[in-house]
Amino acid sequence: MTIRFTVNGVGFELPDSRGQETLLDFLHDELNLTGTKLCCGIGVCRACTVQVVKPPSPAPSPTISCSTALATLDGTQVSTIESVARGGRPDPVQQAFLDQFAFQCGYCAPGFVMAARMFLSGLQAQPVPPDQLEAAMMEAIGSHICRCTGYVRYFEALRSLAEAVNAGEAIEL
Amino acid sequence: MAPPPVSNAAPMTRRGFLKTASGIIGLSVLGLPGRGQGAGAGVSTPLGPVPGVAAQRIEGLAKVTGQKIYARDFRAGDMAGWPDHQWHALYLRARTTQEAFLGLDLAPLPPEAAPTRVILGSDLDPRLFDAPVQFERDLHVDDLLSAKAAEQEKAAKDGSFNLPDGLSFDLLVMPGTTPNFLGQAVALLLFDSLAAYRAARRFLAGDDGIVQHYGPGEGPDGTPLPEQPFDPRTLYVKDPGFDYAGTHAETYAREAPGVQARIRKALDEATGLIRQPIRAEMRAMDPMFMEPEAGLAWIDPARREMQLVLGTQSPDGDLRNIASMFGSAGSPVPELSHVTLHSCYPGGGFGGRDSSPFSLMLALAVAFADGNPVRLAYDRFEQFRVGLKRHATTAEGTLYAHDDMRLEAVQLSMSFDGGGRRNLSPYVASLGALCAGGSYRLPVADIHAEALHTENISGGSQRGFGGPQAYFAIETGLDDLAAAQGWDPMALRQANLIAEGDTTVTGGPIEQSLSLPEMLDIAAAHPLWAERAEIRAAHEAEGRTYGTGLAMSLQAYGTSGDGMVAAVHLERDGTLTVQSDAVDMGNGSATTLGVTIGPILGANATRVEMGGYTLFPQTGLSDDSDNPDRWDDPMWTQKGTGSSSACLTGLHQVNTVQQTAQALLRGSLLVAAARLWDGGPLSAEDVVWDAGALRPAGGIGAPLTLAALAEVVHEMGLPTGALGHAYFQNVWVEADFDTPGGALRLQLDGLAYYHGSKTAPQPIPRRDGSYPAPETARYSRYVWAPCVNVVGLTLDRASGRVQVENVLSVLNAGHIHVPELVSGQSQGGVAMAISYSLLEDMPPGMEGPADGRWNLNRYHVARAGDVPLGDRYVPGARAQELITLPQPPGSPRVGRGIAEAVMCSIPPAISNALRDATGVRFASLPITPDKILGGLAP
Repeated sequence: MTIRFTVNGVGFELPDSRGQETLLDFLHDELNLTGTKLCCGIGVCRACTVQVVKPPSPAPSPTISCSTALATLDGTQVSTIESVARGGRPDPVQQAFLDQFAFQCGYCAPGFVMAARMFLSGLQAQPVPPDQLEAAMMEAIGSHICRCTGYVRYFEALRSLAEAVNAGEAIEL
Repeated sequence: MAPPPVSNAAPMTRRGFLKTASGIIGLSVLGLPGRGQGAGAGVSTPLGPVPGVAAQRIEGLAKVTGQKIYARDFRAGDMAGWPDHQWHALYLRARTTQEAFLGLDLAPLPPEAAPTRVILGSDLDPRLFDAPVQFERDLHVDDLLSAKAAEQEKAAKDGSFNLPDGLSFDLLVMPGTTPNFLGQAVALLLFDSLAAYRAARRFLAGDDGIVQHYGPGEGPDGTPLPEQPFDPRTLYVKDPGFDYAGTHAETYAREAPGVQARIRKALDEATGLIRQPIRAEMRAMDPMFMEPEAGLAWIDPARREMQLVLGTQSPDGDLRNIASMFGSAGSPVPELSHVTLHSCYPGGGFGGRDSSPFSLMLALAVAFADGNPVRLAYDRFEQFRVGLKRHATTAEGTLYAHDDMRLEAVQLSMSFDGGGRRNLSPYVASLGALCAGGSYRLPVADIHAEALHTENISGGSQRGFGGPQAYFAIETGLDDLAAAQGWDPMALRQANLIAEGDTTVTGGPIEQSLSLPEMLDIAAAHPLWAERAEIRAAHEAEGRTYGTGLAMSLQAYGTSGDGMVAAVHLERDGTLTVQSDAVDMGNGSATTLGVTIGPILGANATRVEMGGYTLFPQTGLSDDSDNPDRWDDPMWTQKGTGSSSACLTGLHQVNTVQQTAQALLRGSLLVAAARLWDGGPLSAEDVVWDAGALRPAGGIGAPLTLAALAEVVHEMGLPTGALGHAYFQNVWVEADFDTPGGALRLQLDGLAYYHGSKTAPQPIPRRDGSYPAPETARYSRYVWAPCVNVVGLTLDRASGRVQVENVLSVLNAGHIHVPELVSGQSQGGVAMAISYSLLEDMPPGMEGPADGRWNLNRYHVARAGDVPLGDRYVPGARAQELITLPQPPGSPRVGRGIAEAVMCSIPPAISNALRDATGVRFASLPITPDKILGGLAP
């Protein structure tokens, strides 16, 4: 039996025997994709958040890669921070984080970017009542831990984008 | 899948040398590592077109796109010229200090987890620890240590550790002896395969004691003994006739105890003085920087060179200490010729990566890896277990006041739990003692502070450096005094504010405008304070308990003597490069230094290279403390460089870069401009920058771009770069330097010019220098970033849970170079302080992280919901508002180091708000729901 999944569009096929390895270890040690960060390693801080899509559902799911066994990824499409910027150009979330000085040491930033992108993509598919937007944002990124920033600028940066997307403005994610 | 390729840039190479027992060891610092990559490759983001204004962080793009910039990101395969195959290191650590470590029995390990090599303390040559491993920080404290060292050296045995400020305890516990502290390494396991390393980690997770044997043996070896202080202790006694700053060190040591007795007798006998007890206790805190410590090392056998990949706040001390150890007679790597540090951006620091033992452990591991690269990477359990902590502290004493609210005296004893290693603990205690005077004029002081050696996890430099604990004590004491006497807490503080012309508890003068009354006035007028009764009533009408708390801090920036070095280069294409010895751990110093040259040289830097420890050797200066001529020697300075801590960016690093940029402008660019304009010599006042081009201030002359100037500068053989060293000890050293642009008076003590390259600059000896008076070191600190905090919070009496509703911070930041970075430091400080005050609970001993089983499921740090996220006070909403004091028109554009300033007085403001809400004083941090429920119980 094999485990088949893609990472940033590249396909992999692994034997079942590797099923208990974590996705984060696979990204780091096999693919040298170190943009996804290890912080707590037990699924609490969310620094290691990546995007996982399991067809036929198109909805991306924020996934804690340090605590996700490869065995659970059969048939999925994994996207990491390295897939976000196109040709070196930051996406709207990254640009907003840059413009708002949202991060400081930056170690948690990739996790915030991935979670924020999936949140916005969810809003694009299904807007929420404006008075519920703040709570929705807190749900999306409120559990991410950052030690440097105190969170204010992350929320300010995402809030601007979220209000725009929620109001129907087209933003290419 | 390989990461996207990055562009090449000229490697940043700076060299220095250290004389060791075995000879000279070269030291180098390079930028970010990588195959074929050079310094800053792909990292720099344009700072923005407006000189002096940052559009974003210079390293921001690399961070937000997940590029490799942290030490943890790198593997041997990423390193140019390294073998691809790497080994992995794992340290086993002491779980008791009550029995002797006898050795290992690895039989329980499954076969797939077997290490390739095991190193015990008995495998190390004892002479490895003869080298002086140094932790220098504060001149006046260092002076005491040097005096003590001289005494001890006379009495020292052969082969003993030769300095008290050296490494007191073994890096690896000698089998047969008792560990000195929990978490002290007992064995080094090296694995030649990742699979074996992972298997061993999994097997040993949560209990590496399963392979360790303990039993009767020799007691702990080392100094000091458990529960004894690390030297030196700090005693500040002050009365109208005597103080620390005004008394020679030897005289002070002899007379201070008698003065202390005199003070205590006088206070005991005084009638009419109100006595307010102070008692506070604070648990240790983990910095919880997001990137657990990790690094790579390799010894190139052909070149006898050790290469390290690290993110550290103290590249200076780390490199020097590693070279010292490996240059000693007991070195496991004989004839090591060079140590090179690939300096990475740290994933957070907060002081936890300042003088951390991690770099020594990494260097030790590579020494036994049979020529293979080694990776040492702590996971979060291990980081909690051994990473440097903010000290657990107890504070006990008395405030004395007159019935007209004037403070007469503070008497305080502070005890910091230094844990296992001495590290920087005595310095922390020393600054804590200064901070215990708070923001107040105190005619009399009797403050004692010491750091004790215990079995606990080592304390170190942590954001605030003793300040948070001291301000918690004094500010809660003041608030209790106000409450007991029926005084308004704002009025009590107003009546006692320290100002220019007053002296601190060391007797050091305040020679800087503080504006404390104005700051309190702003806080008093703000609705959060002015309408606190109405706000409380509104909450209570909804069934919520609410309280308002006020606290202040007078946090210093810099230490008692700081040396900084910077280089500014004009590239051939007209772009600008800044190099600095400072490390950016997220505080934004790289960005700040990049834009601070904008108004001087017409454009922001395109590249900023940080962590340049070996810039200082290029200056030609010496900081040899044995030089009898000292400042009379034009190539001598009191201090070369230091760690990136103590909020050194806002004033110290910025001014150094600015003065160096001035040297380049006036010593080179203006000479080129004069040539192009066919005019006479130009001064800086004769020109202006306009849209990136230089123009004559008065009128006619073609605008000159930096590219045009660069061409002429290179053609004429003028300096293409300037290297400046600066020293600040109450005042800047100033001197004249003879340059191609004439004699320049600069706030530098060293200047050298580059010609076409970034190596081998030509030093220019200073002349007609003005220097700090030596005795000013005993002031302890000279410059201050005061902050007033008001906190409004609600309390759920059923659960004991506290929610911070609003924070108002009034901050004197001086001139603000990059507003977004200042507000970011404020916001981060607020969150960290809320977390420290209410959430972060770390018991000592094996009940706490020393057992290796602690992570974020047990150690709670603030999340977004714990912090007010609005940025302006709005009734009924949660917000944190920062008001920075505007600078008077015409003020010099001089910044203050503020990274610690806002954070320091939030904890007492929280405790004061809880006292306001409940009438109960919670003086034990963290103030957990259990403690609150206990305090409220009838």
